[in-house]
Amino acid sequence: MLATRSESNSPKANHLLAALPEDSYRALQPFLEPLQLPLGMVVYESGAAQGYVYFPTSSIVSLLYVLADGASAEIAVTGNEGLVGIALFMGGETTPSRAVVQSAGHGYRLRAAVLKKAFEAGGDLQHLLLRYTQALITQMTQTAVCNRHHAVDQQLCRWLLLSLDRLSGNELVMTQELIANMLGVRREGVTEAAGKLQAEGLIRYSRGRITVLDRRQLEARVCECYAVVKKEYDRLLP
Amino acid sequence: MNRLLAALPRKSYQRLLSSLAPVELRFGEVLHEAGEPIRDVYFPSRSLVSLLTLVEGHLALEVGMVGREGMVGIALALGADVSPVRALVQGSGPALKMSAARFRAELKANPPLQRELNRYVHALISQISQTAGCNRFHVVEARLARWLLMTRDRVRSGQFRMTHDFLSHMLGVRRVGVTEAASALQRRKLIEYRRGNIRILDDRGLEAACCSCYQVVKDMRGAA
Repeated sequence: MLATRSESNSPKANHLLAALPEDSYRALQPFLEPLQLPLGMVVYESGAAQGYVYFPTSSIVSLLYVLADGASAEIAVTGNEGLVGIALFMGGETTPSRAVVQSAGHGYRLRAAVLKKAFEAGGDLQHLLLRYTQALITQMTQTAVCNRHHAVDQQLCRWLLLSLDRLSGNELVMTQELIANMLGVRREGVTEAAGKLQAEGLIRYSRGRITVLDRRQLEARVCECYAVVKKEYDRLLP
Repeated sequence: MNRLLAALPRKSYQRLLSSLAPVELRFGEVLHEAGEPIRDVYFPSRSLVSLLTLVEGHLALEVGMVGREGMVGIALALGADVSPVRALVQGSGPALKMSAARFRAELKANPPLQRELNRYVHALISQISQTAGCNRFHVVEARLARWLLMTRDRVRSGQFRMTHDFLSHMLGVRRVGVTEAASALQRRKLIEYRRGNIRILDDRGLEAACCSCYQVVKDMRGAA
């Protein structure tokens, strides 16, 4: 699904692409293909061979682990701060997780072979992608510990804040079912948690749309996991 | 022998040797503390190190294990000098150690090392993902069985020291949860657990008692 290029949605809306040295960027630019990422689209299937990496600009892609019995839950979110498909330049041919578009929008894709070649040449591009990998690992491990020890409403706060940081605006298009899949809990758990936040005036939730009304309160309410992840991203990335 | 080092081209391995010092890692030793600078990296050979993420300063969860297939302090290879996790020795034994400064210098001068480390990072991410999924969905008893088997494979012995506190951190459950799960495995005569010592009595039975994640991670290691 190819989209047209527009000023507001140039590749540089992705922070990694924007942070590349000008010559590295120019070398990749002709190979960047704009595309639309509709809600629910499966970008990668876990364990399948992949030909492209994806740079979201105005979309969010969720990385989900999938167990042998089919159960899945989110391990990380990626938006305009990152890329989807690190396995492809780190030396794996397949990705260990499923990647699903969690918030519709635009992005760019790039042939994995092109990025791999640039990565192997070393220099700033390689350093940037390695630092991004470290930040992503921290998000994964923090999500794991959060899932284990924190209440669903706190996890929901973390998830909302991490998602909002990766979008402009204060609104997310989302179904309860998708949130339940992300958090690895039952729908009723999400309904209850979202109801709680709504009753406290932090969010408004109606017909698949979540609007954050009071970001401050959400930040006060969230577990430490949000700050840990944000700090790591701020420290390691431009 | 550490497999990551063994996979390096000969030249690349030999130039590393002079910077590596043999050390004996002891059960319970903290190699890296979360949020603190990494001073040394470690390549375990017959030792085993657990990576833990902490919340509220005391609740922990094991997010990965490093044995002879890997390196402790991988953040350094990715350009970060602070450890995001606590690295805790879980199985005593030998390892090779290198200072962070030397490691950084080597990384620049030795591209095959970076390449091998990147492949390892990929395998580690797979393990982290799988562990996260397992922690999320599988019951404590099955997770304990998986954990015991993973430990057995890495220390290559069916007998090791283990405390309730330690297991409770590894599995991210309260001590009482550990007691129940361990007693259940003991009743089924799969393990013997006495005074901080665990002995696996029935490997086959334990493999049948654990979740599918054990096999999945094992296959990944084979592929890595």
